[in-house]
Amino acid sequence: MTANAPPAPDHMPPPRTEVGVIGWMSKNLFSSKFNVVLTLVSGAGIALALVYGLVWVFRDAEWGVIAQLGGRFIIGQYNTDLACPGNNCFWRPQASLMLVVALLGMVWGMTRDDVARNVALVVGIAAAAFAFLPYGFDKMGIDVRLLLLANLPALAIGYAAARYTPLGTGMRVSIAGVVIFVLTLLLLRGFSWMPGLQPVSVIYWGGLMINLILAVAGITLSLPIGIALALGRRSRLPVVKILCVGFIEIFRGVPLITLLFMSQVLIPLVFPENFPLNSLARAGIIITLFSAAYMAENIRGGLQALHPGQAEAARALGLAGWQTILFISLPQAIRNVIPAIVGQFIGLFKDTSLVYIIAMLDIVETGRTFILGNPEFLANAREMFVFLAVVFWIFTYGMSYISGRIEDKMGVGRR
Amino acid sequence: MSVNASNQNGEVAEDIIICRGLNKWFGNFQALKDVNTTIKQGERVVIVGPSGSGKSTFIRTINRLEEHQSGDIIVDGIELTEDVHNIDAIRSEVGMVFQQFNLFPHLSVMDNITLAPIKVRKWPRRQAEETARELLERVGIVEQAEKYPNELSGGQQQRVAIARALAMQPRIMLFDEPTSALDPEMINEVLDVMRELAYSGMTMLIVTHEIGFAREVADRIIMFDEGRIVEENTANEFFDNPKSERTKLFLSQIL
Repeated sequence: MTANAPPAPDHMPPPRTEVGVIGWMSKNLFSSKFNVVLTLVSGAGIALALVYGLVWVFRDAEWGVIAQLGGRFIIGQYNTDLACPGNNCFWRPQASLMLVVALLGMVWGMTRDDVARNVALVVGIAAAAFAFLPYGFDKMGIDVRLLLLANLPALAIGYAAARYTPLGTGMRVSIAGVVIFVLTLLLLRGFSWMPGLQPVSVIYWGGLMINLILAVAGITLSLPIGIALALGRRSRLPVVKILCVGFIEIFRGVPLITLLFMSQVLIPLVFPENFPLNSLARAGIIITLFSAAYMAENIRGGLQALHPGQAEAARALGLAGWQTILFISLPQAIRNVIPAIVGQFIGLFKDTSLVYIIAMLDIVETGRTFILGNPEFLANAREMFVFLAVVFWIFTYGMSYISGRIEDKMGVGRR
Repeated sequence: MSVNASNQNGEVAEDIIICRGLNKWFGNFQALKDVNTTIKQGERVVIVGPSGSGKSTFIRTINRLEEHQSGDIIVDGIELTEDVHNIDAIRSEVGMVFQQFNLFPHLSVMDNITLAPIKVRKWPRRQAEETARELLERVGIVEQAEKYPNELSGGQQQRVAIARALAMQPRIMLFDEPTSALDPEMINEVLDVMRELAYSGMTMLIVTHEIGFAREVADRIIMFDEGRIVEENTANEFFDNPKSERTKLFLSQIL
C-alpha cells in the first residue's frame, strides 16, 4: 500500500444498476432478448385485459340485477312472507350483526392491537355504510337504516366495555364470543312461546348469513378438534390412535359434497326421530368434522417439524407430558403451520357454498336461483357471478390479511 | 442438610447418585455396559471419551431422558423406575444443559426461565421473575431478559439455558457437551459461568472435551469407551499418570 493512496471509505454505495426503478426493470424485465419479448407480450396482454375489464365493469355491465336482490344476498328468504308472516323479522339479523360488531369492538378494546382495530373498524363502518345504499329503497325503510347506523355505537360500546371494565380479559372476551354466537343463533331462530320473536325455520335462512354462520362455527370448532385428532394420532395408546387415524382417513377420503348429502339421509337414521338437529346444524357438524380432519394433518406436520430437543428440555425441567404439549410443542407447531391453517380456513369458508346440495340457499345459490327463476335477467349471469366472486374475495382477503399480520407479530420464520 | 457439600475438605459427603450394574441398549446396540459409579454431594465429575462411547447416554439416563433396561439408578434417595411420580420428582431436582441449548424459541428469555418454576413448582409469577432476574445477573445477561432466544449469540443462549436449569433450584446439574456447539470465542463465557457454579458447591456431571477446564474444576474424571467405564481417577492422576492403555491413547489424540 502506498502512503498517498486515499483511504478506503467505510461504506460504499451499491453499483448504479442495482438501484432505482430503472435498475430494477433492467435487471428483472429486460435482462435478455427473450425476457424483453416476454415482458412486452405479457405487458400487452395485461393491458388489454385491464382495458376490456374496466370497459365492461363501467360501461357494458348492468348491475341492476344486484340491486334487485339487495338484502336477499345477506339474509336469503329470512324476511319473506313465507318465513316470517308480517315481514317484521328484519331487525333480528341486524341485531345479530350488531352483536358481532360489538364483539369485534371488545376484541379491539381488549388487545388494543392494530390488526384488531382495523378489522373492527372496517366491519363496523361497512355495516353502517349499508344504511346509505341507494338500492332497495322500497324494501329498506328508515328503521332498517337506523339499525344499520347503530353498528357504530355498538362498536364503541364493545370497545369501551373491554377497555374500561373488568370484562377486558382474554378469557372473558372469549366467553362473550361464545355467548354472542349462541345468542345470535337463538335470536335468528326465535321461540314459539315468545311474542315478537316468532320462530323462523332454518330452511328459510339464506344468503351470506349462512355462509358466515357455517364458517365461524367450522373455524372455531375445527381447530380444537383437529388438535385433539393430531395428538390422538401420535398417541401411544393403540385404541386412541386407530380411532383418530380412522376418523381422519374417512373424512379426508370422501368428498365434502358427499358427506353433506349423507348428513341429510344418514344422520336421521342414527338419531331418534324429532331429534332437534336441523339441516343447518347438520351441515355445520359435517363441515366442521371435514375441516378438522385436514386440520389434524396440518397440526401433525407442525408437531413433526419440531426438534426433539424441545420436548426433552421441557421434560428435563420437570414439566409433565401434558404441560410439555400445551406450553412447548403445540404453540410452536401451530405457529409453524399458520399459513396452512389459514389456507384451510379460507377453503372452509368457500366450501360453505356447497350446502346448496342440501337445498340451502347460501349467497351463491341465492344469486344463481334468482337468475334461473327470472329469465329476464338470464343475460346478467355474468354480473351476478362477478359480484359473488368479489364478495368471497373480500372475506378471504380479510382472512389472509389477518393471518399475515399475526405471523408478523409472532415473528414466524424469524424465531 | 447435615452433610457438608464440599468434599474437597475431606469430609464425608452423602452419595447423591448411585449407579449399579447399568445396562442400556438401542435396538441391538449396547450403549452402556455394566456401569457402576457413585457420585457424592458437591462432587464435580467430568466425563470424557471418544464419540459414541456412551458418555452422553449415561448422563441422559440419570434424569431418564433415556430409559435403562437393567441395573439401578438412585438419585437423591429416589430410585428411577417406571413410576412417573419418581421420574418427575427426580427431573425437578436434576438440571440439564444441552449441547444445542434447546431454549424455547417462542418464549422470551424471561419466560424460558420462569416457565418451569411457575408450572411445576407453582411459584407465583413475581417470585419466579425475581429469581430469574437474580440468575440472569449471575450469568451476566440480565439486560437481555425480554429478548427472544434467536436474538442472542450462542454463548448467551447457553448461559440462559444454564439459568433456566438453575431456576428450578436443582441439587444436581448435568451438562451434555455444553460448549461443543459454540463458536470458539464464546466458549469461555460459558465455562466462566460453569466455573462459578462449580465453586458454589453444586454437584455437577459434565460431558466435555475442554480438558483445561476439566483439569481445573473436576474432582474426578470418568473415561468411557464402548459403553464401559475404563478409568476413573482424580483429575491430576488421570491426566498426568493414566493407568489404562485406552486412556493413554485417548489423551494422546486430544492433547
